[in-house]
Amino acid sequence: MRHRILIVGLAVILVAGVSAVFGLRHGTSPNASAAQAPGTRARAGQAPDGQLSEGIARAQQHLRAVPGDYVTWAALGSAYIERARVTADPAYYPKAGGALRHSLKLRPTGNPAALTGLGALANARHKFATARHLAHRALRADPYSADAYGVLADALTQLGNAPAATEAVQHMLDLRPGLAAYARASYDLEQHGRLGAAAALMRRALGDAVDPADIAFCRYQLGELAWRAGRLDAAATQYAAGQAADPGYLPLLAGQGRVAAARGQTRTALAGYAELTARYPSPGYLMEYANLLRATGHPARAGQQLALAAAALRLFRANGGTDDLGAAQLALAQGDVRPAVRAAEREWSRRHFADVADTLGWALHRSGANGKAISYARKADALGARNPGYLFHLGMIELSLGRSSDARHHLRAALALNRHFSPLDAPAAVAALDRLGA
Amino acid sequence: MRRLACAGLAVLAAIVMVLALPARPARAHPLGNFSVNQAVRLDLYPDRIAVTAIVDLAELPTLQARSAVDTDGDGRVSAAESVAYNTQVCRAMARAVALRVDGHRVQWSVRPAGFGYRPGSAGLRTSQASCALGAAAHLTSPARLDLVDSYQADRVGWREITAAGHGVHLVHPPVPARSVSHSLRSYPADLLGSPLDQRSARLRAEPGNGPGAGAAIQLNRGDPVSRWVAAADRKLEGLVGGRLTPLVGVLGVVLALMLGAAHAALPGHGKTVMAAYIAGRSGRPRDAFTVGAIVTLTHTGGVLVLGLLLTATTSLAGEVVLGWLGIASGVLVAAVGAAMLAGVLRRRARVHGYYRPPAHDHDHDHDHRHSHGHSHHHHGHPHPHPSGRPRRLSLAGMGIAGGLVPSPSALIVLLGAIGLGRTAFGVLLVVAYGAGMAATLTAAGLLLVRVRDRWASHPRRALARLAALAPAGTAALVLCVGLGLAGRAALGVLH
Repeated sequence: MRHRILIVGLAVILVAGVSAVFGLRHGTSPNASAAQAPGTRARAGQAPDGQLSEGIARAQQHLRAVPGDYVTWAALGSAYIERARVTADPAYYPKAGGALRHSLKLRPTGNPAALTGLGALANARHKFATARHLAHRALRADPYSADAYGVLADALTQLGNAPAATEAVQHMLDLRPGLAAYARASYDLEQHGRLGAAAALMRRALGDAVDPADIAFCRYQLGELAWRAGRLDAAATQYAAGQAADPGYLPLLAGQGRVAAARGQTRTALAGYAELTARYPSPGYLMEYANLLRATGHPARAGQQLALAAAALRLFRANGGTDDLGAAQLALAQGDVRPAVRAAEREWSRRHFADVADTLGWALHRSGANGKAISYARKADALGARNPGYLFHLGMIELSLGRSSDARHHLRAALALNRHFSPLDAPAAVAALDRLGA
Repeated sequence: MRRLACAGLAVLAAIVMVLALPARPARAHPLGNFSVNQAVRLDLYPDRIAVTAIVDLAELPTLQARSAVDTDGDGRVSAAESVAYNTQVCRAMARAVALRVDGHRVQWSVRPAGFGYRPGSAGLRTSQASCALGAAAHLTSPARLDLVDSYQADRVGWREITAAGHGVHLVHPPVPARSVSHSLRSYPADLLGSPLDQRSARLRAEPGNGPGAGAAIQLNRGDPVSRWVAAADRKLEGLVGGRLTPLVGVLGVVLALMLGAAHAALPGHGKTVMAAYIAGRSGRPRDAFTVGAIVTLTHTGGVLVLGLLLTATTSLAGEVVLGWLGIASGVLVAAVGAAMLAGVLRRRARVHGYYRPPAHDHDHDHDHRHSHGHSHHHHGHPHPHPSGRPRRLSLAGMGIAGGLVPSPSALIVLLGAIGLGRTAFGVLLVVAYGAGMAATLTAAGLLLVRVRDRWASHPRRALARLAALAPAGTAALVLCVGLGLAGRAALGVLH
């Protein structure tokens, strides 16, 4: 009899652990990394979500009664990371770290949930090498943890190890096919320029989504993929559908702002960005807003937004994050070329991700080192991402090096993908092509 | 109006003092660098209502508001700019803080009450703006007040509302009278805390000088026994989490036994009534042991089932389940009491009909005493019993009622053990806990049986008569206690 109770108890623990770790909003959600980088699968920005808050409150209450429950401590830590991403508020990261470390203190060995959570936290803080290490440790403790593979995939993607990242995503898909795995697989395909397949997977993820916030997330990603391909109407439709599902999902405002700007509805676009950055002042969105302000003839207001972006980055660092990629992009936007090169080089020494190569190449080009710049610009496009931004940078560098036909080819390709890809860069590409007499 | 001005000045002075406090070492805003935090304090007087609203902006919102503060863009905030911005915030606040007295919206007079910066994290600053809103009101008769704060409703942050009456009594206010954050100066900071998010409050005000204190939080229960038990609880929880050596294991079991015994002895669980039941009803020492064993079994089983349920699903709220079990337990006790009472009355009716002609009072008394003495001497039973089956049933009912409501501390110990992957140890502790409870109950039952037997055979008639009355009295007592327990648990669940 006692034996049977024990077996039932163990089964219950297993179920409880699984539901606590994975149930709290898919534990680590689609993209644990890239809390700031635009254009990635970060789920960010909606107002505090009811279900998540409820889960957090329940976990807190439970832990007040049972302070030794390391599984719930780990789940709470992961929920805090999710909260940090949802509110875009880095101050939740120290709290998440505290909860996860406490879990690990209570149970130093055989605690994959805490290691996975710490890995997700490291990803969120852009400490991708640490995240990879933690994910490996978690997988040694539990080789069947889909969440640990998710953390590993995010870290490897951002570190620029694309083949290994693809493999980790495949493991995750095999272990637990679902929204989180589909979204990561979709991002992986997008990195390789396979936008159609990426959209197909995202639609599968949408079919899996039940929660309004998850539906909004999938719709946003589908909108982004349509936008990447220059299909404004399709993108607008997806964003609107996302907004209908969850009006609080803020990244939709950015998507709608981009579409409005592309359609020449400047006032609407600026109002959308103003609302977005008031509620969710992430460095990435602040820089996007600044770009749009500059492109529409408001340099002073653009400067204010860049100052805010600088403050947001400082806070990100003060809360234990590292983001030299963001720092480099900000320095470029502010015209500080030398610091931009240094920051981009620091980031490149840490990870060989396409975005980093692209930014480093562009910073070198701006500093006049076009010979070095072109190798990085090519690395950025190595996976065949067909990102209009990368192609524009490559074309402009080639132009500076006097390789007119290559430049013409790449600038045309960028505009062919999406002739509105950036409010500042798209017109620059057109002007350059005009000068080339194309 | 002059009083309003005075109050305004007082508030202003308080705010100035707050802002003039020595700067604390710079650190991140405890609620996040993007948060917009608010405290709305409502003071009710017989002739007016005053609101003190404080808005605390974390680093980024402070920076975002800079162009609204520094209107001339010279990089500095002059006194005039500070007051202008403060006024602007307070006007917005007055629009957003809607108070309805009996359905009529109050029109606020607005007074800016201070604006200042404090050092924050990453070399940035946080800022605080204060506002004093006021309005005339007639709270000399009962009134309903509805407060809704929709200021910057879409921003993340701490939102608290407090309310206090001065010469006005607040009936069961849903909000406290004192700010837990000391008006946004010190946020409760722990890993298990979530920011407060109070956006509205519905108050009932009555004339009178009640304390107006809101829901007071009582943390420590007074008496030393409870305190000792609470300390022992924590000790046991600590043992469960620590390293598990044989010595620790034995210590844990002993502690669980003692805790179970102590919890059964604490008032409020209605468990002592069972001891009285054993004494009044049948009084065989064996019965005391039976009830004890049933309590242990029920309690252990109940804790195990509930513990596993609570671990398996997070949607189950422990308090609610305990509340319903409390109702069930009370109803069960009441049912047993009712059955006892019915039995006693039936028996008494039979005794009356058989032995006693209506007119002779004396006989009855004699008969009764006689029957007592008789059974006592011959069988060691004070009372003749009705058939054995219902008696055993009600004994079981009593035992189940006693063990049905799991002791929260036993539950916590079990959940803790499950959480640590030491389910077997947790089960062992819970069994020990139930055994401890049973020991106390059995001991109390035996004690009462002893006492009652002694009284029954007492040479003085009064005491013997008291013992004779015991069955009816106990039955009534058990019924009342059962109803009381069920009622109290129901209040807790339905509240």
